[in-house]
Amino acid sequence: MSNFIVDKSGIKRYLVSVKINGSEYTRVVKANTLLVNFLREDLDLIGTKKGCELGDCGCCTVMLDGKPVNSCLVLAVDVDGREVTTIEGIANGEELDIVQEKFIEHAAYQCGYCTSGMIISSRALLNENPSPTEHEVREAIAGNLCRCTGYVNIVEAVLAAAEAEKK
Amino acid sequence: MKEYNVVGHSVRRLDAVEKATGTAGFTSDMKLPGMLYAKVLRSPYAHARILSIDTSEAEKLPGVKAVATHKNTPRELFNTSATMTFTVPPMVPVLDQYIFDNVVRYVGDEVAAVAAVTEKIAEAALKLIKVEYELLPAVFDPLEAMTPEAPVIHESHKKNIPGGEVIQIPYGDAEKGFAESDLIIEKTFKVPVQKQAQMETQAAVAQVGLDGKITVWSTTQTPHPTKMILAKIFSVPESKIRVLNPPYIGGGFGVRIGLSAKAEPIAVALSMLAKKPVKIVYTRKEDFIASDTRHAGYVTVKLGAKKDGAFHAMYLKAILNGGAYCSFSCETPGVLGCMGMAVYRIPNQFYYGHSVYTNTTPSGAMRGFGNPQAMYPIESVVDMMAEQLGMDPLELRLKNIMQVGDPWPLPYKCSSTGLAECIAKGARSIGWEKRGKLNKPGAKKLRGIGMGVGTHCSNAWPWCGDYDNAYITVQQDGSIHLATGVPDMGTGTSTSLPQIAAEVMGVGLDKVSITFADSASTPFTIGSHASRTLYAAGTAVVEAARDARKQVLEYAGEFLKVAPERLELKDSVIYVTGQAVGNDCSGSGVCQTGESERKSISLKELAYNAHLRNKQFIGVGRIVPDNAPPWHAHFAEVEVDTELGQIRVIKVAAVHDVGKAVNPMIVEGQIEGGVLMGIGYALSEEIKYDEKGKQLHDSFHKYMLATADDTPEIDVMIVESNDPTGPFGAKGVGETGLVPTAAAIANAVYDATGIRFTEIPLTEERVFRALAENRK
Repeated sequence: MSNFIVDKSGIKRYLVSVKINGSEYTRVVKANTLLVNFLREDLDLIGTKKGCELGDCGCCTVMLDGKPVNSCLVLAVDVDGREVTTIEGIANGEELDIVQEKFIEHAAYQCGYCTSGMIISSRALLNENPSPTEHEVREAIAGNLCRCTGYVNIVEAVLAAAEAEKK
Repeated sequence: MKEYNVVGHSVRRLDAVEKATGTAGFTSDMKLPGMLYAKVLRSPYAHARILSIDTSEAEKLPGVKAVATHKNTPRELFNTSATMTFTVPPMVPVLDQYIFDNVVRYVGDEVAAVAAVTEKIAEAALKLIKVEYELLPAVFDPLEAMTPEAPVIHESHKKNIPGGEVIQIPYGDAEKGFAESDLIIEKTFKVPVQKQAQMETQAAVAQVGLDGKITVWSTTQTPHPTKMILAKIFSVPESKIRVLNPPYIGGGFGVRIGLSAKAEPIAVALSMLAKKPVKIVYTRKEDFIASDTRHAGYVTVKLGAKKDGAFHAMYLKAILNGGAYCSFSCETPGVLGCMGMAVYRIPNQFYYGHSVYTNTTPSGAMRGFGNPQAMYPIESVVDMMAEQLGMDPLELRLKNIMQVGDPWPLPYKCSSTGLAECIAKGARSIGWEKRGKLNKPGAKKLRGIGMGVGTHCSNAWPWCGDYDNAYITVQQDGSIHLATGVPDMGTGTSTSLPQIAAEVMGVGLDKVSITFADSASTPFTIGSHASRTLYAAGTAVVEAARDARKQVLEYAGEFLKVAPERLELKDSVIYVTGQAVGNDCSGSGVCQTGESERKSISLKELAYNAHLRNKQFIGVGRIVPDNAPPWHAHFAEVEVDTELGQIRVIKVAAVHDVGKAVNPMIVEGQIEGGVLMGIGYALSEEIKYDEKGKQLHDSFHKYMLATADDTPEIDVMIVESNDPTGPFGAKGVGETGLVPTAAAIANAVYDATGIRFTEIPLTEERVFRALAENRK
């Protein structure tokens, strides 16, 4: 557990140092602060969405040390000393990630609310498995609910991104 | 078929980069300086009177800035749905809700709300509010709620029928029609509560200025009507209220036509009390239990046919569960009846339908709006009829489907249909000829194929008022700004409407920018619902663009000394028809005087020239849309595991006559999403209640949405019948994807098992029991 201070009302607050999208952040958080709220409220990284806060919908998916996690199921104190990648950190500066590009090309989103989490899960898959089958893509994004698209274009986009990355 | 430059092309969506990078703005992302966070206290009881409510302890909690209850908020009745603002005479909108009342009518009903400096403090304060309830008898089933001994849920609606409104649509002579029929089949079906389950929950941020102006950012699908509802509740001139999306919405599917449940008035009331901006975002559970659902209910179909298969009479009856407040409960049974009566040429029909108040979550609008509730039963009975007649169900449908110009019960024309083509294409895709030959004797997993067809509307008229406005301003550099009040809840409006503007204006899409979903900076529109946005708002955009184009050509005519009728406007250049576009003096400045012998001028130069002469081209589109029927045929192949009762959909072929696909990629996406929602309606989605009226399905781990992993192949095909009334021939498509899906699946399950299910969803339990029963 990281360093903590005790405030006037006796509540412990913890010092968290975390690398997010390549930048170091040090902040003081409560023990029960969720990573998703830490990202959205303390750091204004609002690209990570909240859809249920129960780990069901996947809208809040981020990469923690390269693995996709529901950031509503992770405490902010638990990311001390670790590395987080959110949708804001996927692109390489001005150049979009190939997954983002293929999502755009294939219109793999409609309302856009699940998109951040969907792109993170897809990116994490391709990092692990550069040549996924359609079934493996479907499995990898099964934790991300989308109510708009029927997943058709999302699966197409991820497969297209894998194909493009091989070249 | 006519080729266009921008319309008809799958151009990249204009919201693409924002949404792919997480920078698109949603209500739930908003933060204003000094903003407070609100939480709502909800009723734990299905029906109770509030005897007393004590908020003093909550108010004392540090960080709490306001507590709102029925005692300190407006006692102004309203209806959360936009029908309140566009129900047309002689119908009267049913106003049956306050922000907070002293009676609660379902588990989740609003009792009080707190605004505090953090969400956590607001939540803690809720626990300090003391409420004394007197429990009242409750009723949950619409048939029970109609009995004389049922508790009255609204004193002003004694028989528990919202507005007392029973819809009866006679057409021909049904009684005579049945007497003349050779075969009659009658069956009653039970349909479930389905939830929109859009990914962004209901949310609003309200800012009440000291000058009396109110700004509300919210998830509404209808900024302008929502502004009207808020103006009534708070007795404020509509001109002082601005309702807008910021500018995106995380899905809608009907759940926020009007208010976003009550997020907007609760945020405004608290902001008025606290004198600070207030944000409210519903939890997923609140969204499940306290925002409108699809109407559940009972639907009866009685179909009469001649020996040759010609349908001759139909009686359709629907008793829908309206829930605790009216919302869209008067319009939904109307659309159910009208759509159910419009698919087939049946000379003698009668429809009887209404909703019933019960102590459950209010039912309102959900994608399809009564139509899926009509088509699952109707299409099941059509299949039963085919079997009785010994006909192929596909042939029976082809024999009876509506044709252009046929008389029908609707007050607008059947202006186009490509349904026969949809059926032919879908049958090919699914392999209809395999039907009945898929299973080996003794197989434990049985396959089946089924189909369903349907129609829908392309806007809300005649069930509600429906009109639209848009304006287009040609900027001083010749680029185009379009303003329309409809939102983009994911349906691609903010791309396809600019496509239409670009096409009519004769400019590239890169020259067009759109302002949308803002009641203050756009003219009135009734919003995004009824599959109307592209059709109705698109018609307004066409009109606005034509108006602006006319002004441009008139001005150019003077400039080029040519009659405007002889001019063309294409690729942002105005030129004399038939003459080559000169590469003359564009941009050089020498022809600004208009004295040279020019035969063409760029829109950029012309607009700036006009600007120097104190003129801007401003196009206004004010339209009352016609209406038009989209058509669709769905084919499903399923596999039923007879040992587990589990149904797996192998494939759905969905063929849609959309009139004209302005952006085919967007149109296909609409249909694909609708199909999956329809599969959920058929197989897994249902909110059930316990005996005390508590919702048993209030989260995504209880209410199961299909994941990517359990989604079958969805083969979407588009048929273009070029409707004469729609913009560029387009018709509605937003809702159609789920209209006949459950029907096709239920018919496929019958084909596989020989069991005719009269209740959906076809859950493992339901199917397993029926299979066991069938074996006896």
